[in-house]
Amino acid sequence: MAASGSGSSRADNGYGSQPPRRRKGPGALATAYLVIYNVVMTAGWLVIAVGLVRAYLAKGSYHSLYYSIEKPLKFFQTGALLEEYLLIAKYLPGIVPSSVVLTAFQVMSRVFLTWAVTHSVKEVQAEDSVLLFVVAWTITEIIRYSFYTFSLLNHLPYLIKWARYTLFIVLYPMGVSGELLTIYAALPFVRQSGLYSISLPNKYNFSFDYYTFLILVMISYIPIFPQLYFHMLHQRRKVLSHTEEHKKSE
Amino acid sequence: VEPNARIREIRLMFHKLYPRWYPARQSIKLDPKGKSLRDEEILQHLPVGTTATLYFKDLGPQIGWTTVFLIEYTGPLFIYFLFYFRMPFVYGLDERFTSSPHPVVNLACICHSFHYIKRLIETVFVHRFSHGTMPLRNIVKNCLYYWGFAAWLAYYINHPLYTPPSYGKKQINFAVIMFLLCEAGNFSIHVALSDLRRYGSKTRKIPYPTKNPFTWLFFFVSCPNYTYEVGTWISFTIMTQCVPVGLFTLLCFIQMTIWAKDKHCTYLREFKDYPSLRMPIIPFLL
Repeated sequence: MAASGSGSSRADNGYGSQPPRRRKGPGALATAYLVIYNVVMTAGWLVIAVGLVRAYLAKGSYHSLYYSIEKPLKFFQTGALLEEYLLIAKYLPGIVPSSVVLTAFQVMSRVFLTWAVTHSVKEVQAEDSVLLFVVAWTITEIIRYSFYTFSLLNHLPYLIKWARYTLFIVLYPMGVSGELLTIYAALPFVRQSGLYSISLPNKYNFSFDYYTFLILVMISYIPIFPQLYFHMLHQRRKVLSHTEEHKKSE
Repeated sequence: VEPNARIREIRLMFHKLYPRWYPARQSIKLDPKGKSLRDEEILQHLPVGTTATLYFKDLGPQIGWTTVFLIEYTGPLFIYFLFYFRMPFVYGLDERFTSSPHPVVNLACICHSFHYIKRLIETVFVHRFSHGTMPLRNIVKNCLYYWGFAAWLAYYINHPLYTPPSYGKKQINFAVIMFLLCEAGNFSIHVALSDLRRYGSKTRKIPYPTKNPFTWLFFFVSCPNYTYEVGTWISFTIMTQCVPVGLFTLLCFIQMTIWAKDKHCTYLREFKDYPSLRMPIIPFLL
């Protein structure tokens, strides 16, 4: 799933750098930490992007590029979990504007795709659908983290803001398609191997069918994806028109 | 409007003007962002001048608490029976209307049903609610939760492939005793709380232990009814040795801890002399 939405009505910045009466911005130390974190994450996803390009050039085809960026992908995608935890535990008070619930959804779904599907079902790693969502995520995350970095430093180039709130229009459906196709491709292998499934009878009187679970996950995209997508479109209208008014009034 | 009018009367007047918004649905405040005013408040005691501006907010369609509880608790009662009696659509035609060879399955049915029947009786005869109503939307959410979980755990307990507890009779007997004690405790607390609000009073009072030993938990805990409730479900988990029951117990525990902490904070805020030994839900710990 592409760029996370900006949940607040303060549209221009990622992080709180508003006139003091509105909201307390982060302290200097917190800002420093956050800048470092976002720079590291931007760099990480750039590494993945570069890795993809190099592998493509070396192999001459775009198939099976997953293997060349497997490790950094897992590392940096799972790193987003830390970010989400900090948001939820409110160690980032009022700093990140994105709605906690929405980003939680996104992070959970991404981590799920990375570990519970692509890593766990080795047979799908060579699928083209994996490339589809990896590319979508990579571009999205590079823009998102650089957006946060620049916002924290109070020098947000309009281009980055524009990119964050516009490219998702293509990247989001692209990512979702890649994710769904990958899960779909994994289904027969899950059924065959009984991966992560437990059946009766057993002494804990519990059963779980991972195959059915995956199908339910796929179905859940139907109500959730449009909501997130329209939320982002709505944010886009707010953010980009707000900036124009700002420019006009100057 | 008379200066000594109560908010309740204002609500009735408003309802006459706008029949659609019956009193329970009206939220009347002094400040758009403030808290809703209670029915008993008298206009002249409020911080207003010679003219008062009141803000109205529509709370949406409301439903009475008693009705909500009745619906929420009757569902699991009957849903469990669908699984216990093995209706054909549940476990397939071959197993229809058969019964389990394990006595613990019958016991579980009795306990589960007893629990919900007790709750229904309490709702009708014992509970006294401070708010009359809740938004209608909540009932769908709540029912999904209670009914859904009841179906899920009933499915496993009454399944033809059900495995009885590993430690056999010892485990089951222990669980039954714990279950009965917790149910008795829970009931005692509900009665004690209800006695605090005799004669239809809606004010909050500090609950204290009475002669009933089960209420002595009040020495240690603000919301012993939740403590006993969690105990009931733990005992049911031990009795059935079933993971879904355990998960339900965990969720109940989390939810009730949140409610208990809220209640505890409210008590602390309202009463300066609130007993300091008390914890919200688990003695000394939580």
